[in-house]
Amino acid sequence: MPISSQQIRSVTAQMYEWSLKQIPDDTRATLARFETTETNPTGRKTLAIMLESSDEAKKNSQLVCSDVGFPVYMIKVGSRARIDGNLRQAIEGGFADLVAQIDPPILQMVTHPLTHKRSYAAPGMPQITFDWVDDADYIEITCSPKALGSGRWAALEIFVYPSMDQIEKYVMECVLRAGSQACPPIVVGVGIGGTFDYAAKMAKEATLRANGVHNPDPMVASLEERLLKAINATGFGPMGTGGDSTAMAVNVNISHGHGFVPVAVCFNCWINRRTRVRINNDGEVTRYE
Amino acid sequence: MSELIGQNLKRESRVHHLTLPITKEQAQDVAVGDMVYLNGEIVVTIGLPTHQRIIDNAAAGEHLPAALPHGAFFHLSCFNREREDGSFEALYMNPSTSTRYNSFMPRIIRALDLRMVGGKGGLDAESVAAMRETGTIYLSFLGGGCTLLARAIEEVAAVDWTDYISQFRLVTLKVKDLGPATVGIDAHGNSIYTSLARDAQDKLRALLAQMKAERNAAAPPANE
Repeated sequence: MPISSQQIRSVTAQMYEWSLKQIPDDTRATLARFETTETNPTGRKTLAIMLESSDEAKKNSQLVCSDVGFPVYMIKVGSRARIDGNLRQAIEGGFADLVAQIDPPILQMVTHPLTHKRSYAAPGMPQITFDWVDDADYIEITCSPKALGSGRWAALEIFVYPSMDQIEKYVMECVLRAGSQACPPIVVGVGIGGTFDYAAKMAKEATLRANGVHNPDPMVASLEERLLKAINATGFGPMGTGGDSTAMAVNVNISHGHGFVPVAVCFNCWINRRTRVRINNDGEVTRYE
Repeated sequence: MSELIGQNLKRESRVHHLTLPITKEQAQDVAVGDMVYLNGEIVVTIGLPTHQRIIDNAAAGEHLPAALPHGAFFHLSCFNREREDGSFEALYMNPSTSTRYNSFMPRIIRALDLRMVGGKGGLDAESVAAMRETGTIYLSFLGGGCTLLARAIEEVAAVDWTDYISQFRLVTLKVKDLGPATVGIDAHGNSIYTSLARDAQDKLRALLAQMKAERNAAAPPANE
């Protein structure tokens, strides 16, 4: 039995709502740990109200943040997955259903890049990208709505045979540029290598990794640890008003390429919006986040 | 200035329960790092065109909300829904990034002699200079604080410029115990944001050296 487009429509709408009304469990655990380790009194208080705000939102089915971002879905399609109907149309329909039905209603956030006119629907919305998974009979959908607060600080630079010094310096400069404004404690995603576009994709995917899970490559894992320690020594703290809880995680993905090495850096704010489900050919839905 | 802010960061912050509108003297008694709860009327918007319209109307002497002059003007995004009887209800609110409005804020702060501005992430040096002239403080609200901020809303007192989408309108809200908000910039020109950015920049060289030392201690350089 194939996966029905109606099921994709309802699941993708639900995923967006989940991502708006609660924070991931690992993120809550990291913030709770920070509340016990933060040395700045204002930072501790800010962490406490972050936890209270997200708990209240979850309990009362309310939005954590009013900036619901624009809809972004990343889909991994298994080579043996069978889909009945039009997948893109189903996700567009799911977002339209969400806009019509979600309580409380969401604000218009989809913005024309040139006129800045806002709307709920627009050509190419939701933004959907696809990957392929060999020998799999499922589709895996990640929903990661992106808003301005953290989205605006992403950056990419192309280096030529960079030293580790240069890479570390560039990531730190990006973090300092975002400073107080990306709603810390942040998750920092870094993509190193490949092509211009692939480095950005790796950085984005890195922000979706669970807190505390390191890159399996020991050299990359140690880079993550060094950067996390350095970022938490900058002093920006929760909401950027001071403290030593500036980043929850630094996640780095790498790819071989050529001598030109793109380094892409992007951020998630403390809400760290992400939900992920897998739908099998038999229609079984497994929610991972 | 940096030393003063350093002291403020290290001490336990004071908590202020302020009823709007506040006087210049009250604004000057508040220091960076303090926490504030607000009672009374605030005016909110996150619309860029709204900011230009405030400037234009102030210059022309045209309509502005009564609570705006000498008042509290915040970059808070508010979903205000019209009821059948024409009145409005506020469903939730949440701060936006204030630096987006840097080019407007010095003129608005001076033209309206504001006592409070706010949102999240602070404002630039030109705004801080205007705030020092007028005696204005900046409040940092919790980004992602929809539920906590919304429960402080008692009433939508006015919704101006309904030709804009909801969050771009100029909304006057009556609030009770809105907070806690952190004082990010005080009326004496002290900015936590300027101070933290400068401190982080000052530390950068040492942090990079530390990372290099840790790397070299763990393993021989891999790509040098």
